[in-house]
Amino acid sequence: MSDALKRTQLYDWHKTHGDVIPFAGWEMPVRYSDIREEHMAVREGVGIFDTSHMFRFFIRGPQAAEFLQKMTTNNVSKLDVNDGHYTTCLNEHGGIHDDLMLYRIGTDEYIWITNASNGPKIKRHLSKNSKSFDVKVIDRSSEIAMIAVQGPKALQLLSKIAGRDLSGYNRFTCYPVDIAGYDTYLCRTGYTGEDGAEVLILDCPFTDEGKKRAIAFWENLLAQGVEFGIKPCGLGARDSTRLEAGFVLYGHELDEETSPIEAKIPYAVKFKVEPHYIGFDTVRSHKEDGVKKTRIGFVMIDRGIPREHYPILLNGNVIGQTTSGGVSPVLNKGIGLGYVPPNTVNTGDIIEIDIKGRHRKAEIAEWPFYDPQRYGGSRTV
Amino acid sequence: MNYMDGTEVKDGLYYTKDHEYARVQGDIVVVGITDHAQNSLHEITFVEISEVDTVVKAGEECGLVESMKASSDIFSPVSGKIVEVNTELEDAPEIVNEDCYVKGWMFKIKPSNLKADLAKLMKADAYRTFIASE
Repeated sequence: MSDALKRTQLYDWHKTHGDVIPFAGWEMPVRYSDIREEHMAVREGVGIFDTSHMFRFFIRGPQAAEFLQKMTTNNVSKLDVNDGHYTTCLNEHGGIHDDLMLYRIGTDEYIWITNASNGPKIKRHLSKNSKSFDVKVIDRSSEIAMIAVQGPKALQLLSKIAGRDLSGYNRFTCYPVDIAGYDTYLCRTGYTGEDGAEVLILDCPFTDEGKKRAIAFWENLLAQGVEFGIKPCGLGARDSTRLEAGFVLYGHELDEETSPIEAKIPYAVKFKVEPHYIGFDTVRSHKEDGVKKTRIGFVMIDRGIPREHYPILLNGNVIGQTTSGGVSPVLNKGIGLGYVPPNTVNTGDIIEIDIKGRHRKAEIAEWPFYDPQRYGGSRTV
Repeated sequence: MNYMDGTEVKDGLYYTKDHEYARVQGDIVVVGITDHAQNSLHEITFVEISEVDTVVKAGEECGLVESMKASSDIFSPVSGKIVEVNTELEDAPEIVNEDCYVKGWMFKIKPSNLKADLAKLMKADAYRTFIASE
């Protein structure tokens, strides 16, 4: 693998306006202003993220559905054309190879959007396994830019730019939509807990022309979004918003040794599927016979900020470890995720986090960590 | 962030490679983190220093500063006994971002081996060169 860090079509803009760092083999912006401000723009108005570093595979052929059912854990046959769902791809032991979004864009055509860090691995996995199916896997990552538009005002902004109301596209759908003269796929999904969309902008190759097109789209969002309190958001806010929503992140909550049942993402796993996907038996046994570890969330009571790999204690004994941690800008408290054995703690129980030798009290909490009536995609006020 | 971006390095202070500063003030030493450090940490959300009366050695970990991004340890630039901790940072850690050299000081230490410890630290010019080369 080459050591050179890769850049997205929006790199020049990030470099001029943000603090760019290496991430998963890419040079990406960690922030442009303050992470907290960017975070709150997503919760209260709208924020935009460059997610072009993720991989976009187009999977096409008469056996596409069958192949994808072999590869992923959600029920592929439930996807109508223009529907999408969150799912996982497992190894033979039921551990998670990657988590992904799968969208059906035609009778026999799907888009698989996978983590940047896992892209090359998944590409090999799909290529190897697709040989026995009448299906083609095409990596179109480098010719499509991807921008996540997230927040309660996201659809208003996109509608304004498109010149028509886009709010009729339901959550989890994926439609080809013309936005200000750009051919896009409007995926009504995201990774922040908020309403919004992930926009695949076609014809944006990594050329001067392609970069210009992607940057113009991005800058148009920023200009038109002023009235909605828009902020460009970096990886810092991407992590803090997903953590506050309680979403899992590959390499933290998910890895090759962890099953989706252990990770508590049951909605990504179905059992009435044909053919059985790779890892099916392990996952079914985790579901029916139980697991050795289970994911928990917690909010700090004492002062202190949890980070990954901190010991979790119950009554003075170490019972597990954190996998993610940080500050919740909404709660202004430390929050985290981690794993403990099943049936050791319940919501409201007091645990301790060993923060560099200092034991600090925390309370087991349900995610999302914010009040879902005030924040997030299903807010009521 | 680097020195060329306008990072402030104050003359008359002593500096560590971990970006703490030490200001000799009578018979005590006031310790904090440098402008360069607060800039690169950005949005500081939490500061915690070992308790008053803790005896520390030069280079020893004696505190923690958390930003929105990450956690970093604070190392004491000199040996001695911690005599005061800036309790204002408990409720307002952002003071370190706003004014790291004056209001954002972190702890005061009664040094036990001052001369020898200071000799191992960088003066302002050396620190400027150090962060420019980092």
